[in-house]
Amino acid sequence: MTLVAGLFDISTQHYFVVGALLFTIGAVGLLVRKNTIVMFMCVELMLNAVNLTFVAFSKALDDAAGQAAVFFTLIVAAAEVAVGLAIIVAIFRRRQGVTADDIDLLKG
Amino acid sequence: MTTFHAPPLAASVMTEYYRQYLAVAVFVGAALVMVGAMLGVGALLRPKRPQPEKYITYESGSDPFGTFGQQNVRYYVYALLFVIFDVETVFVFPWAVNADHSGLGWFGFGEIAVFVLILVAGLGYLWRKGLLSWA
Amino acid sequence: MILGVAASLVAHNPRIDWFGIAPEGTLVATAVAVLLLDLVMPRRDSWQTSRLASVGVLVSLGFVVALYERHGGTTPMFGGAYVVDNYAIALKGFFLVVAYVTILLAVDYIGEGDYYQGEFYFLLLTSVLGMTVMTSARDLITIFVALETISIPTYVLAGYRKHDRRSNEAALKYYLIGAISSAFMLYGMSLIYGVTNSTLLSDISDKVGQTGHGKVLAVAIFLSLIGFAFKVSAVPFHWWAPDTYEGAPTPVTAFLSVASKAGGFVAMLNIIFFGFSNRSNVWWVVAWLLAILSMTLGNLTALRQTNIVRMLAYSSIAQGGFMLVPFAAYGIARDHGHLSVAQTSFQAVVIYLLIYGAMNLGAFGCVIAVARRTRSADIEGYGGLFTTSPALTVCLSMFLASLTGIPPLAGWFAKFVMFRSAIDAGGWAGTSLAIVAGVNSVIAAYYYLNVVRTMWFKAPATEAGPVQVPSALGFSIALCTVLVLAIGVYPQLVGHIGDLAAKAASVATGS
Repeated sequence: MTLVAGLFDISTQHYFVVGALLFTIGAVGLLVRKNTIVMFMCVELMLNAVNLTFVAFSKALDDAAGQAAVFFTLIVAAAEVAVGLAIIVAIFRRRQGVTADDIDLLKG
Repeated sequence: MTTFHAPPLAASVMTEYYRQYLAVAVFVGAALVMVGAMLGVGALLRPKRPQPEKYITYESGSDPFGTFGQQNVRYYVYALLFVIFDVETVFVFPWAVNADHSGLGWFGFGEIAVFVLILVAGLGYLWRKGLLSWA
Repeated sequence: MILGVAASLVAHNPRIDWFGIAPEGTLVATAVAVLLLDLVMPRRDSWQTSRLASVGVLVSLGFVVALYERHGGTTPMFGGAYVVDNYAIALKGFFLVVAYVTILLAVDYIGEGDYYQGEFYFLLLTSVLGMTVMTSARDLITIFVALETISIPTYVLAGYRKHDRRSNEAALKYYLIGAISSAFMLYGMSLIYGVTNSTLLSDISDKVGQTGHGKVLAVAIFLSLIGFAFKVSAVPFHWWAPDTYEGAPTPVTAFLSVASKAGGFVAMLNIIFFGFSNRSNVWWVVAWLLAILSMTLGNLTALRQTNIVRMLAYSSIAQGGFMLVPFAAYGIARDHGHLSVAQTSFQAVVIYLLIYGAMNLGAFGCVIAVARRTRSADIEGYGGLFTTSPALTVCLSMFLASLTGIPPLAGWFAKFVMFRSAIDAGGWAGTSLAIVAGVNSVIAAYYYLNVVRTMWFKAPATEAGPVQVPSALGFSIALCTVLVLAIGVYPQLVGHIGDLAAKAASVATGS
């Protein structure tokens, strides 16, 4: 019984670990994936890791500011996706493909 | 640190715990009977005249094209519209539930009205630009 | 009825200084009005939206001047998250002037091409709104929202030449980098919030001064700085900038390299000076490295460019490095316990921003004017410009000389305050900053003056008539010229603004 109970002991620290893991997965995904849409999804993953961290801190500190921050992160993420998809559609119409490596007309 | 414990699992509590699932079982049973009855009665009563058009995939009222998996890129506008108005509620909702007793009164109403009006201006822009009609 | 509503507004509202947010209110109203006006206007009249937009910006600027005249001191709003002090007012004025000049630069470019016009000014105004909010933001969430309000419209503006693949690419790169940087910054902010239990910069400043949470805070501060480093295109987070600057429409490039960059720097000023002052041991090394790398790599790469827009892009990376010097200097001085340097370094950043804005906008104005004739931005194409359009050549030479830092043009004063902050900081770190900045000023002189040499002494590559400069473009170039000359001859003009800003800041940081 104690074993089972121990498994279900989820402290706020676990949320921070999950948040950090999600953020890392997103960041690594950005580096290794080449499809622009998948890259967008990785950014979303990172933003959601941030949201999770904010909410967990908000709960741990018993303070509402963290939850308010999540609202704004959500809104901004939605606006960013709107603009990002529009840009991708503009590119897609011109070249039929969204692989980041093909988008290399300008060499930095 | 706040912790969430699993419920204690003493024997008497266990039976009580399972009894709560009885309601779920009843609901599942009722749902099966309802759906079965509706589909069954429909199958018995309706006339059966198969036509090929009736078997086309439903795609928001327009003729589907291509194979499964390739969506028309223009759908993304509707997805975006949904997301924007969906996310808007994130701001309106906290104000709405607190409108009575937050002490914000007309001030709060004015603020939310400005917020919504700016969004309505955006919607008006979309409408005028013809994004709401399928051309 | 209206009186009743107004009375209840006064009775219940949280303390809001309506006059204090009048500039922002004007911008919001103008942006919406521009969008709606464009809908009802026939397409051939849609250039009228530019007129409405510039009137809105000027009215907003009028409110800023009135606010300055009010001498009301600081007015904190929303629990201290939004402060209208002299520092905020000075930079609001700067951003609005930049917006006005950008509209002037863009009006012919946008009007002549087959572009959506109303939307252009709508997006521009929205971005400027974010900038004016940023100057007053003293709270992590407000800073974040302001930064995104600055950035998101500029992603669209960078891709405004929708049918040009290079513009598409510019937009995509800029967008991706912007989204990544805001994710890093936000993660840093969430950790800061967790450690300090507040999003208000004043609270954070108190809490980070206490001991404890050293490692988490270091990670948090480091992550937020990476986010800002992307936004201000500091090396090694700069690679997107030249591509985006080249692909975007040139007036947008001017706006990005001046206003958007300045927006990032203002965010950095707020968060570092008002929030992280007491943990300077964590961030001064980061700022020091970013400054040295940006100056050196930016300048060395600019040397090799044959396209003037790319050259200006790399030069703006290097100029960003110069602007990072006072940040590092402040951190170094703070670490040694010289609190007085806080004033001079804060002043240095503000003054550098103001002067950089005037000279860089002017340079881009000239580039836009020349591109009207040559349809390209190759430096070779500038050969013999003096013989065909002498006035334009003199102006562009002045802006480039000012960017180099030659007296009596405004640029020397910017360089002077920057060097002063580094030398005041002292120690090996401060001295090395000053030396690297000095060497880089010499390198920069080579490529800036190379363009000047091409214009004055090279033979024209092709037979071409004089450059026709439309009146709006000419007026904006003239305005920048006057500013660059006036500030250079009489530096107290911006020195006074810098003083005011630094005083307001010292009230806030208590140093």
